[in-house]
Amino acid sequence: MSEPAPHRHGLEAFFATAESTPDARVEIGVLSNRGFLNVRLDPRKQQNVRTAEQVLGQAMPLVANTYTSGRHRVYWLGPDEWLVETGAGDAATLGGELTAVLAGSGAAINDVSGGQVALRIAGADARTVLAKGCTLDLHPREFGPGQCARTGLARATLLLAAADAAPSYTIIVGRSFADYLCRWLAHAARPHGACFSTR
Amino acid sequence: MAAAQPNRLQHGGRIDRSRPLAFSLDGKAYTGFAGDTLASALIANGVALVGRSFKLRRPRGIVGGGAEEPNAIMQVGEGAKTQPNLPATQIELQQDLVAHTTRGWPSVGFDIGAISDFFGRILGAGFYYKTFMFPRSFWNYYERAIRLSTGFGEAPASPDPDAYEHMNAHCDVLVAGGGPAGLIAALVAARSGARVILADDGNEFGGSLLAGADAIDGAPAMDWVAGVVAELREIPDCVLLPRGAVLGYHDHDFLTLAERCVADPRGPGDATRRDIRPRARERLWRIRAKRVILAQGSFERPLAFCNNDRPGVMLASAVSTYIHRYAVLPGRHAVVFTNNDSAYRTALDLAGAGVKVAAIVDSRAGGGGALAAQARVVGIPVLQGRVISDVTGKNRVRGVSIAEWSGDSWENVTSTVRIDCDLLAVSGGWSPAVHLHAQAGGRLDWDESQLCFRPAHASEKQRQSHDSAGAGNGRQSLNECLTDGLRAGTEAVAKLGLEPAAIKAPAASSAGEAPIEALWRVPAERDADRCPKQFIDLQNDTTVADIRLAVREGYRNVEHVKRYTALGFGTDQGKLGNINGMAVLAAALGKTIAEVGTTTFRPVYTPVSFGTVAGESVGGLYDPVRKTALHESHEAAGAPMEVVGQWHRPWYFPRAGEDLHAAVARECLAVRNSVGAMDASTLGKIDARGPDVVKFLERIYTHNVGRMKLGRCAYGIMLGEDGMVMDDGVMARLGENHFYLTTTTGGAANALNWLELWLQTEWPELEVYLTSLTEQFSTIAVAGPNSRGLLEKLGCDIPLDRDSFPFLTVREAVLAGMPASLFRVSFSGELAFEINIASHFALDMWRKVLDAGREFAIAPYGTESMHVLRAEKGFIIVGQDTDGSVTPVDLGMNWLLSREKDFLGKRSLGRPDCLRKDRRQLVGLLSFDQRTVLPEGTQLIEKTGRTTPVPMCGHVTSSYHSACLDHPIALALVAGGRARKGDTLFAALPGSEPVPVQVVSPVFYDPKGERQNV
Repeated sequence: MSEPAPHRHGLEAFFATAESTPDARVEIGVLSNRGFLNVRLDPRKQQNVRTAEQVLGQAMPLVANTYTSGRHRVYWLGPDEWLVETGAGDAATLGGELTAVLAGSGAAINDVSGGQVALRIAGADARTVLAKGCTLDLHPREFGPGQCARTGLARATLLLAAADAAPSYTIIVGRSFADYLCRWLAHAARPHGACFSTR
Repeated sequence: MAAAQPNRLQHGGRIDRSRPLAFSLDGKAYTGFAGDTLASALIANGVALVGRSFKLRRPRGIVGGGAEEPNAIMQVGEGAKTQPNLPATQIELQQDLVAHTTRGWPSVGFDIGAISDFFGRILGAGFYYKTFMFPRSFWNYYERAIRLSTGFGEAPASPDPDAYEHMNAHCDVLVAGGGPAGLIAALVAARSGARVILADDGNEFGGSLLAGADAIDGAPAMDWVAGVVAELREIPDCVLLPRGAVLGYHDHDFLTLAERCVADPRGPGDATRRDIRPRARERLWRIRAKRVILAQGSFERPLAFCNNDRPGVMLASAVSTYIHRYAVLPGRHAVVFTNNDSAYRTALDLAGAGVKVAAIVDSRAGGGGALAAQARVVGIPVLQGRVISDVTGKNRVRGVSIAEWSGDSWENVTSTVRIDCDLLAVSGGWSPAVHLHAQAGGRLDWDESQLCFRPAHASEKQRQSHDSAGAGNGRQSLNECLTDGLRAGTEAVAKLGLEPAAIKAPAASSAGEAPIEALWRVPAERDADRCPKQFIDLQNDTTVADIRLAVREGYRNVEHVKRYTALGFGTDQGKLGNINGMAVLAAALGKTIAEVGTTTFRPVYTPVSFGTVAGESVGGLYDPVRKTALHESHEAAGAPMEVVGQWHRPWYFPRAGEDLHAAVARECLAVRNSVGAMDASTLGKIDARGPDVVKFLERIYTHNVGRMKLGRCAYGIMLGEDGMVMDDGVMARLGENHFYLTTTTGGAANALNWLELWLQTEWPELEVYLTSLTEQFSTIAVAGPNSRGLLEKLGCDIPLDRDSFPFLTVREAVLAGMPASLFRVSFSGELAFEINIASHFALDMWRKVLDAGREFAIAPYGTESMHVLRAEKGFIIVGQDTDGSVTPVDLGMNWLLSREKDFLGKRSLGRPDCLRKDRRQLVGLLSFDQRTVLPEGTQLIEKTGRTTPVPMCGHVTSSYHSACLDHPIALALVAGGRARKGDTLFAALPGSEPVPVQVVSPVFYDPKGERQNV
């Protein structure tokens, strides 16, 4: 095998050309080298949850629209569905381990690293910019760190999570929508001044 | 410059005399001050005439002071930024503002009076329906002439350079209206810890207090307003939205609001500047509120008397507004006409500003209360039990006729005297702004003592989450409004479970009032349709006579009368005249106003621009553009894109000088003769697994899923419950209980929803998980006799020969150093491999494929060639060759229908209609002339000839020129088509003779399927 191909999120061109403005009140960033696993299992069988948690090394969120942080981020997507965010290099191994320990339980683990793009929206006006396209109540009392939701932003469907009280938000979106979403975010952020970052 | 403003007072007003502003109306230059509206600046400059009326071409002046203005409708700004239909009363004056009257063709000053007098006779109620109906074909001409001669402004001809935006907001309490009641309601709610949004359509908070000289707690009322606003600004969870008009109250306490983000109606003026952050011109707020307090105040009603539309006849409250807020005098010699006490205040305001008030004409025999006494003290003649019977003057009021009055007929009108004046301030009482309350489903009660519709108190069962407060709730004095606002705010926070902050109601002075008395129409000497016109709706030229005529012609329902007479249409939506019109209608019908009721209140409350509605969804952001992982490469290759749903897919890859046909011919031949590569990433992909997955898929798909061996692929179709083909695709069995399904590009979301629907609602006992992998995997189809050689050249860790990796199987492999799933499936009929690879590696894989393919002269190909190649093989595309009315049997796919199991749609296939012999079936067509490519959709007929009707026996679904066969091919659905091979049909082409075609098998190329199996 030759050297591994770079892990492309597809936004390289967008972030290479996006112009940051000084004194920006919104930061739009793409998180490179993230890996993702979609986990389906029946949490009514408590053994399934315990087994998965042992491999993950952290608790799985069982409360709707929350996530747990640890070695990975584990987002609640539905009553029997989670998204694990981890390093790009770790997803395959972690997925393999989960599949192995949950064999026979009916669980379904899919590596979806190629299909997701993670964005970071932060800064003083981040909430205002998101509110232009998201119908959820993003007030910190209603949607604070530890909370996440599958929702719409502009005309894309995505996972939105409150990352910290800075405030900063994490968006995980299907990669085919990512370019549209970034163009929309950049447009919506214009009155606030935006800076663009890749990390 | 003040000298140039003859009607400007030397002192007072909320204007900034240090900031004169030059502006123009219809090309004539004027000067006003910062703080003026266009209307107040025009009045300051003595401009009385601002338009001509809709039908009758009568001269019109400014009537109101706010959103109710029916006459002064302006076109503002120039070029791409021009905006029509703005009332001058709501346009904040700006330096160099260019405005035009919109209702004055050929010009406001030029009076085509002869025409109006002549047409006045025929343009009665329903004139559209009567006058211009015959001959019907002339309607277009009539309408053009009518539109031209009246004018409602012009839409800009070039794209709007400004940005607009949407904003979603949530709050505990939304207060609509920033007058005294709204302010105190917002204050108590905010102090109690509620998240508050306070909106007002004006540029300043204060509402009615802006227009008067009231005192609150012994100080000027505007000091109190300033204090409240300052406190609210400091509260973090309180949002103040001046220039924010609540447009609609929709279901579930969802409200829309249009905010003018900048004072300048021409927009922020920085859309094209790069050095500053561009602001939006307008913003549409989408607000979800837990409680809503409606405190939008009330509208003063005019009175109906002869020639009540002459310029200089104004609402009394508007006159007070112009004096107090803008320091302008709308006239020098005034008469006040009223049926209630509030207009006495205007008379006192006029007198205080130095205007000679010739008389207060009060229709009530008993006259007014405390304010009337004050008027007498300052020496204003008060004439009780009298009415204005007529107005003289044409372009400006010159005098009024005053008559004694003791009842609702001409016999009771006596002793007419004439008084000269240039201003007539009228008040017919007050109508609470109940629009939003009614939109929310709230009922209205007719209040006979105050003569108005007011919000009905919600019954316990209604449990509505909105409340009304202040003048909008039928409260009249300032004291009552403040108390009511405090009550509404306190109740709202209590219902939210918050502890209401204790606030002492501020105290305002109040005068004892005498009650209003009804005066819906002043009697005239002759019948209503023969006397000088008594206008009800100024914007639509609807008169008392029109409403009575409608009743005589049989109209009874208020909604019908509205549409017949145009009462309440237009930009002001009848804010001025509706209630008066309903009273006239009630009298004509011999009913009470409560029985007649109101017309339906609908969003939007005030006009809103299209830009605001569109928000950010314009241009490149109109709809998402979904891009595959290979998009960048396709763009660099110069491939035009085909829009498939939201996906942008490469259509073809032209080389220099090639058009679509040349490129497609080259691409197709490359696939047939060597190798081509296509981006098939948009196909829907679903991972399906679980102990019951076979059971589940057996029910969904028509073929025997359980018989598929591990590593096998199969073509599958799913049917709707009606037996019609819904979606198709290849599926692969990756494990005992693990399948990988593919769907069509356009049907991907629907197919997944369909599967989840059955899984979640009908068969929840089945243990199956479905996961969409559409985004996860990109698909590169490599097709052609050299595809195997290409993969070998790329470096593949598994054997690719026919026996090790046969047709319709799947293998995991490392290809070109990257992990991939290889599918030996073919949509072209050639030896082909579909490379499924995680999308983040896909671009590198694509580049390596094209690189390695160079020695095979590989051609990347687009959707067009894919269509041709599959049509040559007779492969259908769901949605193109099917339309939701086609069964698998119609398509000749009986081989796919299992006899051994049940599946969705199976029973429907046995319906008599599905068994008809003459159902349309999939066939191929060849043009006899070997060159006509039939347009898709072409109808097929049995024979030529001119006898009509011509029975149609089928239609063309797909049609292309086949480069490898060197003749056109077409797929078609033909009645009983499979039994008609060899028959001749005719393709009916518009504008030319029918083209003879032969019915053939739909498989044109390699009918035995040997090429894909090598």
